[in-house]
Amino acid sequence: MQIYLPIAEMSVNLFFLVGIGGAVGFLSGLFGVGGGFLLTPLLIFSGVPAPVAVASVTGQVVAASTSGALAHYRRGAIDLHLAMYLVLSGVLGAFGGVAAFALLRDAGQLDLVISLGFLILLGSVGSLMLVESTRAILKQRKGVVVRERLPNQHNWIHGLPMRVRFKKSRLYISVLPVLLIGLFIGFVGSLLGIGGGFIMVPALVYLLRVPGNVVIGTSLAQVVAMMAATTILHAVQSQSVDILLAFCLMVGGTAGAQFGASAGKYLRGEQLRGLLALLVLAVAIRFGLSLVIAPADPFSMAVVGGMR
Amino acid sequence: MTRLLAACLVFACILLAPAQAARLVSQVSNDSVEITSSFDGERMTFFGTIMPDAGSPDKTVEGPFQVVVVVLGPTQNRVARQMTNNFGIWSNTAQVEFKGFPSYFHVLSSGRLNEISDITTLTTNNILPESHTLVARSEDWWRGAVFGQQLIRLMTQDGLFGVQENGVNFLSDNFYSARLTLPSNAPPGPYIALTYVFKNGEIIARKSEGFAVRKIGFERFLALSATQQPLAYGLICVLLALFTGWLGGVIFKR
Repeated sequence: MQIYLPIAEMSVNLFFLVGIGGAVGFLSGLFGVGGGFLLTPLLIFSGVPAPVAVASVTGQVVAASTSGALAHYRRGAIDLHLAMYLVLSGVLGAFGGVAAFALLRDAGQLDLVISLGFLILLGSVGSLMLVESTRAILKQRKGVVVRERLPNQHNWIHGLPMRVRFKKSRLYISVLPVLLIGLFIGFVGSLLGIGGGFIMVPALVYLLRVPGNVVIGTSLAQVVAMMAATTILHAVQSQSVDILLAFCLMVGGTAGAQFGASAGKYLRGEQLRGLLALLVLAVAIRFGLSLVIAPADPFSMAVVGGMR
Repeated sequence: MTRLLAACLVFACILLAPAQAARLVSQVSNDSVEITSSFDGERMTFFGTIMPDAGSPDKTVEGPFQVVVVVLGPTQNRVARQMTNNFGIWSNTAQVEFKGFPSYFHVLSSGRLNEISDITTLTTNNILPESHTLVARSEDWWRGAVFGQQLIRLMTQDGLFGVQENGVNFLSDNFYSARLTLPSNAPPGPYIALTYVFKNGEIIARKSEGFAVRKIGFERFLALSATQQPLAYGLICVLLALFTGWLGGVIFKR
């Protein structure tokens, strides 16, 4: 069944859209990430114009993260104080990201920056995660008890000025690294159409030493608020949010995420992280190849000046 | 005065070339193409008959005639870009802008274009795809021509440009019909269909008809709100996302 997307101005198979939404939702539920880093490339490869794909996936990420954020909120697993700092700086970063997005699109360099951004970001995060999870798996095989990191372990970041007390996370740290992380994720997330959960979680755990019980909830709350703001910014600035496209993805995504979450219970944490790392690396390699392999067609075209 | 002049001109034409005095009576099957949620392209028919000019003593016109129908979509500013390899990475390095470039261009004709008329007549009447690339904004004429060729190729790949040299059929000596399938990616806006009647390589009659491709109903409402009320549109997108996410959680009891 074909459905006409009014903003993308093309007709797409409805089941294909709900299907990739569901498949990515399953993976996002399984690994506890938003899934934007898979969905945006999939849409671009299937012919949706890159600006529309990025802007519409932002809306889908909001939906995908909402149910998880609500569940964590009920359990009291969100540090709202910390999330507020991250969101405020994240929205500021999103302003920059959306402006950069518009500039790059008009200059014809958006695709290049998206490819490079995905390659660098996913490549480095994926490799780090793979190394870490392989070590954890090997240690467990040898029978070594993996020592959990204690929340009161300090590093150089905890020595910075302007300290604020985050009660729920049992942290008394400088706000500077918190704001910096929010700013970076806001910028990158709005530019690449990803929620940034897979950068946020390691950053909170390894840089700020946020305890494990509030990391996921806080990260999800931050993704919901920041991506909601980014959706509005994209709608106002580039007018390329396709509500029908986003809705089809949301329906598939929220349903798929539930099945993914229950499937995730059968796997151990380090196994999940290892699989996610492989997935992230695969996407990074796909983007890397598109940069170095000679394109089938060196010529491309685009409409400029926003005439619709 | 103008009427008198026109009458004189018509008279002069009849005197000079009585066989060429013809007029075209034509029609398009739909004057508007409506884009709905299930829009998957639309089939259109252009038909008409070639008749002797008003006031002409002739009852019929003598052929053989050749008919060319040119369908033009709304104009846009388009760029053609070229990727080159720099330090191992492929990136867009050169671009040429074409202002007022048609977003849709199809030519239907009753025979091979180069047999119907000469290249000058075809180019000056914008019947050849290449005639639209003369608007290239480039200092370098050669580069403009190269990028123009590539742009036509890309547009043809997307089904937005095309030449069908057997697209017009004559059902009798002077009655023709032409079929065109508008693709699903046809951009919305005002379209114009120009019909030219050729005889011995000369244009003896021409007529233009307009039709509109437009979104209707829900699609039109969405597209309009996205451009006219972007803030409200964005807020509704977010509310919809929050609601869908919440509902998913409730349904599946996560």
